[in-house]
Amino acid sequence: MSLAVADPLAKKDSYESAPQSESSSAAEIEAIIHAAGELLPTVGPITAFVFLNTLQGLEHLPFDEGVKQGERLFGCNPYLPESEYRERFEQGRIMRDDIIAAIRADLMGLGEAPIAGLTNRYELRLAMLEYPLRVGPAEELRWFVAETDALTKIRKEAPLAMAEKLLEETRHWVMRDLLSQHWSERTSLGATPPPRYDFSDLLTHFDSKSIERWSRSTWETFALQALWRVCRNEVQALPHAECKKSHLIRHRDLLQIAVGEDSDALVHELLIRYCAAFCDQGFAGWELPYRELGFYQSFLTVYGRHFGPPDAWLHGLSDELSRLKKANIGPVESIAESLRLLGVPQDEWKDYLTASLLSLRGWAGLLLHMEVRHDRVPLPVSPGTQLEFIAVKLILDRFAVAYVARQEMDYTGPLDRLREAAQERIVKPLNGVEQRAFLIFQLAQVLGWSPDRLLGLSANDWATLLSEVEIFDSLARRRILHRAFEGNYRTQALNAFAIHTQRKSARVHRPKYQAVFCLDTREESFRRHFEEVEPQAETFGAAGFFGVPMYYKGASDAYFSTLCPIVVMPKHWVVEEVVYSLSESHKRRAKTRRVLGSAQQQVHLRSRSIASGALLTASLGVLASIPLVARVLFPRLTARIRKTASQFVEAPPITRLRLERIAPNPSPEDDGIGFSLDEMANIGERMLRDIGLTTSFARLVIFFGHGSYCLNNPHKSAYDCGACSGGMGGPNARALAMILNDPRVRKILLERGIEIPETTRFIGGLHNTCNDSITFLDLDLVPLSHFRDIENVQDVLQQVCARNAHERCRRFQSAPLTLSFQEAHRHVEGRSEDLAQTRPEFGNASNAVCFVGRRERVRDLYLDRRCFMHSYDPLTDTPECMILGRILGAVVPVCEGINLQYFFSRIDSPGWGCGTKLPHNVTSLLGVMDGHASDLRAGLPWQGVEIHEPVRLLMIFETTPAAILGIMAANATVGRIISNGWVQLVLLDPHSNKLSIYDEGKFVPFEPTQQQLPTVPTSLDWYRGWRKHLGFAEIDIHQAASAARQGAVRS
Amino acid sequence: MNLDELLYWLGVIVVSAPTVMVVLLGAVSLLSGKFSERAIGRIVQICVIVGLLSSLLILGLMLTNDRRHVAVNLGNLVHLHGSQFDQGYHFAIKFIFDRLSVPFAILSFLLCGVIGAFATRYMHREQGFNRFFTLYAIFVLGMIVTSLAGTIETLFVGWELVGLSSALLVAFFHERSAPVRNGLRVWIVYRISDAALLTASVVMHHMTGFGDFDKMMGIESWPDQTPIINPHQALIVGSLLLVSAAGKSALVPFSGWLPRAMEGPTPSSAVFYGALSVHLGAFLLLRTSPLLDSSPLLSAIVVVLGLLTAIFAAVAGRVQTDIKSALSFASLTQVGIITAEIGLGLRYIPLIHILGHACLRTLQFVRAPTLLHDYRLMENALGERISARPAGEKLFSERVRVWSYRFALERGYLDALLVKFIVTPLLGTLRFCDRCERRWTDFLAGGQSRESESRELQTSPVEELI
Repeated sequence: MSLAVADPLAKKDSYESAPQSESSSAAEIEAIIHAAGELLPTVGPITAFVFLNTLQGLEHLPFDEGVKQGERLFGCNPYLPESEYRERFEQGRIMRDDIIAAIRADLMGLGEAPIAGLTNRYELRLAMLEYPLRVGPAEELRWFVAETDALTKIRKEAPLAMAEKLLEETRHWVMRDLLSQHWSERTSLGATPPPRYDFSDLLTHFDSKSIERWSRSTWETFALQALWRVCRNEVQALPHAECKKSHLIRHRDLLQIAVGEDSDALVHELLIRYCAAFCDQGFAGWELPYRELGFYQSFLTVYGRHFGPPDAWLHGLSDELSRLKKANIGPVESIAESLRLLGVPQDEWKDYLTASLLSLRGWAGLLLHMEVRHDRVPLPVSPGTQLEFIAVKLILDRFAVAYVARQEMDYTGPLDRLREAAQERIVKPLNGVEQRAFLIFQLAQVLGWSPDRLLGLSANDWATLLSEVEIFDSLARRRILHRAFEGNYRTQALNAFAIHTQRKSARVHRPKYQAVFCLDTREESFRRHFEEVEPQAETFGAAGFFGVPMYYKGASDAYFSTLCPIVVMPKHWVVEEVVYSLSESHKRRAKTRRVLGSAQQQVHLRSRSIASGALLTASLGVLASIPLVARVLFPRLTARIRKTASQFVEAPPITRLRLERIAPNPSPEDDGIGFSLDEMANIGERMLRDIGLTTSFARLVIFFGHGSYCLNNPHKSAYDCGACSGGMGGPNARALAMILNDPRVRKILLERGIEIPETTRFIGGLHNTCNDSITFLDLDLVPLSHFRDIENVQDVLQQVCARNAHERCRRFQSAPLTLSFQEAHRHVEGRSEDLAQTRPEFGNASNAVCFVGRRERVRDLYLDRRCFMHSYDPLTDTPECMILGRILGAVVPVCEGINLQYFFSRIDSPGWGCGTKLPHNVTSLLGVMDGHASDLRAGLPWQGVEIHEPVRLLMIFETTPAAILGIMAANATVGRIISNGWVQLVLLDPHSNKLSIYDEGKFVPFEPTQQQLPTVPTSLDWYRGWRKHLGFAEIDIHQAASAARQGAVRS
Repeated sequence: MNLDELLYWLGVIVVSAPTVMVVLLGAVSLLSGKFSERAIGRIVQICVIVGLLSSLLILGLMLTNDRRHVAVNLGNLVHLHGSQFDQGYHFAIKFIFDRLSVPFAILSFLLCGVIGAFATRYMHREQGFNRFFTLYAIFVLGMIVTSLAGTIETLFVGWELVGLSSALLVAFFHERSAPVRNGLRVWIVYRISDAALLTASVVMHHMTGFGDFDKMMGIESWPDQTPIINPHQALIVGSLLLVSAAGKSALVPFSGWLPRAMEGPTPSSAVFYGALSVHLGAFLLLRTSPLLDSSPLLSAIVVVLGLLTAIFAAVAGRVQTDIKSALSFASLTQVGIITAEIGLGLRYIPLIHILGHACLRTLQFVRAPTLLHDYRLMENALGERISARPAGEKLFSERVRVWSYRFALERGYLDALLVKFIVTPLLGTLRFCDRCERRWTDFLAGGQSRESESRELQTSPVEELI
C-alpha cells in the first residue's frame, strides 16, 4: 500500500486511544440523526403518493424563516427567480400597488428614515423592485459596460422625469463647477474648491469648447460616463465587501470548490445501487444477501469479502469493513469513529451529520419512511436503518475524499487536516467593486441622482447607501415580490367573496338530488356544472375518505390497500365479496385470471432471461409490433378492445362490502373484518353533521369518491384522492352509503336527532377525474321506487361530465379551444388511455383557496378550479365549535400539505420537485430516479405543476375570531401552521359579508376595493376561449346584464 | 420505366426521405429558427411513412420478380484508376438492397416511426423538443444508411451519424451532470468502435483497393457469398470489425455503457439503445459474415464473446432493481446470443432474432413507466405478492452466492477494470508525452509557454442563490 498515509486505515492507532465518554457521544449522535430525520422529504412508496409540506421539518419556524433555512439546508430556491415575478408584473398579475403594499408591510413604518440625504428606504426598495437590476459576475458586468450602450444611453426603464433631472443637474454642475475648474489654469477665476476627481479628460474628449452646442445624447453620454466614474471610484475607496461566511462544512463541498471534483459522485454511485437493492420490494430476481441483518451489517458482509470492486478509490474497503466486523463495531460507534477520523469536532457534529444525511436525501427519506411507516410497505426495514445508512455513507465518504484529495491535489496527509488544506486552495472571489458600483449606477439613473450629488456624499454616506442596497439582496427582493404576488391574488379573491356573499343565501328548497364530493379543487368545477345543469341539485364537500378510514381489499385484489389520509393509521379492515349466487363464476374467473396473470409474469420474466428469452424473442417477438403500433397510434380504440376482452375475466359485477364485524376486535381475519354497528352509526352521524346535512334530505344522496385512471405514469397516485393516501375513494363512498342505508343505523341516528326520511336513498359513486366518467356502486340494491331518479341523475351527470371535461380542456395546449362538449369528453378519454401522455390531467395544480363554510354562500361563484371546499354550517355547530374543530383538524394539514407540495415543486422543480418526468426510471417498485441512477426523487413532476401559481393557501373559514383562536389553541398542528404563516387565514362572518384577515394574532378587517363582479349566464361564457388563469365571476342566468360584461377584466 | 429504373428510384427515395428530414430540421435549427411542434410532427410523419412505403415496395418488387440483390450506386467520391502496378482505388457511395438490408431498413423505419409518433406527444412542451427531433432525424438517417450501405465507407458514415446522435441524446438533459458524464462515456466507447471500423476500412482498401461489400464478398448475394480475400487477411479485417461491433453492441468488455445510456427521455432509450442501435454490431457481423465463414478462428472468437456477454448480462440482470437497467441487460443478453448465433454460422436465424427482439424490447421500454401498474395487475391476478429469491440458493455455497451477488450488482466490475487496465495507463502515457512536450516548448520559449493554463477557473457566485 504505497499511499498508506492518506488511507483511512492509517488512523488505526488513534482509534485505540478512544475518547472518554463513549456512551454520551453515542446518545448525542442518535439524537442528532433523529432530529435530522425530520428534515428528510417524506418519500413513501410512489404508489401511495403523500402530500405533505415539503418543509414539514421546519414548520415550527415562521414561513419566511423556514424557507430561508430550507434554502441553506437543501440548496434549493426559496422563491421563484426574480425574472419570473417580473414577467408576472408585466402581465399584470402583480401590480405596482401590490409591491408598495408589500414593502410598507415589511418595513413596518420604518421606511421614511432618510438615507445619505438622497432617498429613503421605502423609495430605494421600491426602485429596486420596480426596475430590473442587472447583476452578475464582475467579468460579465465589465463586458456589459464596455460593449453595450450602458454608458451612452440612460436605462430605458428610467422614468422620463428622473432622466431629465439627472441631465439637468449634470448640466448645471458641469457649467458651474467643472468647466471653470477645467479652465481655471487659463483664467483667473480660481475660487472653486479642487474637485475630488479630474474630469478634464472627459471634457476634452467631448470637446468642451463647443459645450453650449452639445446635443442631448452627448450630455447623456457625458452624464453616464461621469456617473460611472464616480460610482466606481467611490466604491473602490470603501472597505471591501465582507465575504459571506460559507456554510460549507463537508469535506466533499470544500474539495469540490477547491479542485472541481465531486467525491459524492463516487460514493453515490455505489450507495444508490446498494440502497436500491436493500429497499427492493421484489423486482430483482435475487435478493440482497443478509438483508435481514440490516443495512449496516449486510453492507459489511457483502462488501467486506475479498475480490471486491477493483475501483481505485475503493482500495482497502474490504479490509476496513472486515476490521469493523471483526472488532464488532456497531453503526453508532462507526459514526463516531468516522467523525473523529474526518476531524469533525463535537460542536460541528450536528451540521456535519445533517449535511451528510441530506446529500442523498431521497434514499435516506425512503429508508426512514420504511422504518417508521412499516404498515405501508410489504417489506419494511428494521428500526435504526437511517442511522446505519449514515454510518455506511461516512465510511464511503472517507475513502472517496481521500482518493479525490490524493488524485487532484496530491494530498496524502491525514483526513482530519484535509478541510484546511482544501480551504487554502479555494480562490477567494474578487472583491466585487464593479458589482457593487454597478448597482448604485443603475439606481442613480432611475432615481435621478446626478454625479454632482453623489460626489457630495461622505465616505460614511456611501457606506450607508451601499449597505442599504446590499441588505435588500436577491432573497429579500424575491420575498417582497412573492408577498406582492400573493397579495394581488388575495385582494381579488377577497373582493369576490365579499361581493358575492352580500347575496341572501339559503339552502336549495326541496332539492332533487344531493351529492357529496371530495373537497378537492378538481370537484369545484364539477359541482358548479352540476348545479348549473340541474338548479335543484345541492352539493356538499367533505374529505374524500368520507370519514371511513380503512384497509380495503377488492374482490380481485391480492392485498389490502390503505384508504385514509397519511396521518391516520386505520384500525379497521373491509373486503369486497362477490355475491353468493355468482361465487361459482367468481372462482372460475379468478382461476382464468390466475392463468393469464402467470402467463404475463412468465413473459415478463422470461423475456429477460437467456434461453427462454431467445426462444421468445426469436419466435413471437415480431408479434409485439402489433400491440406496439396499436397502442401508440390508436390508444382509444385499443383501450376499448382491451376493456371488452377483460370483461370476460374480471370479477363478477355484483359484489358486497363486508362491512359489519362479528368479532369484538377488528383484525384482517374473517370475523374481524368490518365495523360494529355503533362504529357505523358514529361514522354516519359525524359525516352528516360535519357537512351540515341534517335536514331536508333529497330522495337521492350520492357520495362521490374520486380517482384517476391514466397509463404509463409512475406518479398516478398523485392524481388520485389525497385524502385516501393516493387511492381511489370509491370504496369509502360505497361504505358510507351502505352504512347510512342501514335501517338500524338510521334508528340510532333518529335517537340522536337526525331524521332521515324513508324515501331517502344513499348511493356511493366514483368520479374518474382523468376521463371524467362516473361509476355508481351497488346499483343492484336500489329499490324499484328510485329507478326513475337514478335514470334522471345519470342523464344529468352525463352532461355534467362533458361540460367539466370541456372546462378542463381549456388548460390543455393540445386540445383546440373550439372543441364541443362531446369532443372535449372524447379528448380527455383519449388522454387517459395514451401511453405517450405525460399530462393526463393537472391534478390539484393552481389550487389557491380553501373555503370551509356553507356552499350556498359561494354557490354560483366562478372559482376556476382553484378552491378546496369543505361544507360546514356554522349555525348548527355547538357554541364551542366542536364540529369546526374536528373538520379543521383534518382540513388544515391536508390542504396545506397539498398546497405546499405544489408550491415547492413549482418554485424549484429540480430541487424540491422531481423535475421533468421524461427520464424517470422506476426503481425497487418504490420510487423514481432520474435516468440511469440518481437520488430518489420526491415531490411532483414538472409536467404536473407547470400551470401552478405558487401562492400559499388562502384559507377562508366561515366562523368567528374567538372560535378559530380556540381551535388554534386546542390543536397544536393547526395552531402552528396558521400562526407561522404557512397558510393565509381569513374569516368570513357567518351573518354578513365582512371578512377579516389574520395577521400575527390579530384580525384586520378587509376593505373591498371593488364593488361589483362581472356576471355571466353560464360558466362557459366566462371561460370559453381562454387558456390562462381566470378571475372571479358570478354566474346568473337571469341577471347576466351585458353591460357588466363589457370591460370586464378576466384575469 | 423498367424494373431496374423503378428499383433504383425507389432506393433513392428510401435514402432521401430521412435525408430530407435531417436537412429540414437541421437547417432550420442552424438558422436559429424553430418549427412548431405540430410542424415537426408532420415532417417526421411524412418522411418516415414515405421511407417505409418505398422500402416495402422494394421488398414486394424483389419478391415478385425474384431479385435478390439490387445495388443503387450514387457514384464515386474518389476514383483513382489502376495501372499495371496497382489495382486503383475508389470510394463509392453505394446502397444495396438484399435479404439482410431490406428487413433491417423496414424495421428501422417501423420502430422509428412509432417512436416518432410517441415522442411528439411525450415530449410536448419540453424545452428541447426541437433538439430532440433534430437528433432523432440524424439517428434515423444513420440507421438507414448503415443498414443499406453497400460499401464499408458508406457504412462508416451511417455508423458515425448513429454514434453522434446517440451520444447527444444520452446527454439530452444537459443541465444535470450525470447525463453529460454518461453521454461522454458512451461517446468514448463509440469512438473506439469507430476507430476500429475506420482502420478496418483502410485495411480493406489497402488489400483490395475498394470497400464494396459485394465485390469483396464475391458476386453471389447475401448470405451465400465467398470472400475474395484469404483467411489470413479475413482474420485481420474481421478482428477489427469485431472490436467495432463489440463497442457498438456493448459486448464484453464494453458492456458498461448500455445501462448508463438510459439517461435520455424514455422513448429515445427505448428505440435507440434498447432496440435498434444495440443491434448494429450484430448487423455489421452479418453484413461481413463471409469473412467469418472463411476464418474458423474468428468465428470461434465471436461465439465465445457472444456467450460471455449473454451470461454476464443474464447474471447482472438478475440483481437490477430498476426497470431501465433490467431491460438494458435483458437486451444485452439477447444481443450476446445473437452474436453467438452469427459465430456459429447461422444467418437467417440471427436476422429473425434481431427483428423479433427489437419489436418486443421497444414495446417493453415504452411501457417501462407503467411497471408499477402492471405489477399491481399481475399480483392481483396471481393473488399474492411477487418476491425475490436468494441468489442461486440451492446450487452454490454461501461464499459463492455472496460473491456472485456483488459481482452482478457491480456489473461485473467491467467499467472499473477498463479504467484500471486501459484508461489509467493510457492517460499516464499521454500525460507523460504532454510533460515532455511542455518541457520542450518551455525550453524553446525560454520560460512559461502555456499562459492559458495558469488562468484560474472563473468562480464568481451566480446570482440566484446569493
